[in-house]
Amino acid sequence: MKYEEWSKISRIASKKSLWILHFCTGCGAIEMPPVMTSRFDMERFGMAPMATPRQADVLLITGYLTVKTLKRVIQVYEQMQDPKYVVAFGSCPINGGMYWDSYNTINQLDKYLPVDLYLAGCMPRPEGIINAMMELMEMIEKGEARGWEKYRKNYEKYKKNQEMAFKFGKVEE
Amino acid sequence: MKAKEIIGRGEEVHGRLYVKVEKQEVRELIKTLKENKFQHFVMLSCIDWIDDGEFELVYHLWSYEYREHVMISTRIKREGEEMESLHDLFPQIETYEREIKEMYGVNFIGNERLTPFFLEGWPHMPPMRKDFDSKKFIKDVFESIPPVEDEDEGI
Repeated sequence: MKYEEWSKISRIASKKSLWILHFCTGCGAIEMPPVMTSRFDMERFGMAPMATPRQADVLLITGYLTVKTLKRVIQVYEQMQDPKYVVAFGSCPINGGMYWDSYNTINQLDKYLPVDLYLAGCMPRPEGIINAMMELMEMIEKGEARGWEKYRKNYEKYKKNQEMAFKFGKVEE
Repeated sequence: MKAKEIIGRGEEVHGRLYVKVEKQEVRELIKTLKENKFQHFVMLSCIDWIDDGEFELVYHLWSYEYREHVMISTRIKREGEEMESLHDLFPQIETYEREIKEMYGVNFIGNERLTPFFLEGWPHMPPMRKDFDSKKFIKDVFESIPPVEDEDEGI
């Protein structure tokens, strides 16, 4: 069997068993318990919460990120095994949301980490979260969710951006 | 109000006792209140009165016996003036002073633990000062970081 065919089968299988690591930074963490528990029950889609980054497939960034938190998010993301996907939750990781002019909030997450899917809303409802996850599954099956490849390929650029944020713009050349 | 009887000064504002004092008097006042059943130090807050060139430090105390709230307010100059640390009266003051040092740049003499708290590697002026230009800062720092472009690896 050719590699392409095999990877297609593997993608179809893996999309039905997504283990989610929710990095609860902002208010989005409040929307996760109803999604996980009996009312919305995400396990019927093969998704389950995972306690450690090393066994997780999806990293959920549930809200705004400060520079201090971004350092921890990057540590978590780099521990995850390929293939891995990032879903950014709510309006804060998109453009800063209501914290856009805060001194300590990074405004756009995909400058520092490759984001596969943005989920708009402040905060998104559980239906929205499930819808986004279905979308992510479709992207995985089609092979469109390739943020982790992008991160590998552009590792230097990402590191440079991260370093600029950590030093609040004062980088010595 | 019981607190007014104890310290004999201040005015009642919205059910609280508001006392304006010089910075040298704060220690004695808090000590007196502590000895008279104002055993809960609620918080220490700071206000930047940029037009007056002053910082206002407000010490909040609460008594469970009398159910009264006392605010002891003192003003120091924005530049070049320091405050005495009061962490020997209530140990939690140490942490409040640490936060105010980071966010406003007020120095507290006698506090050994004024190390960076929330902000890691912060190279600019303290961000809660009114003359800190937040929008310019965002423009210079976060907006100047370029997005990572990669045409082959579409998202």
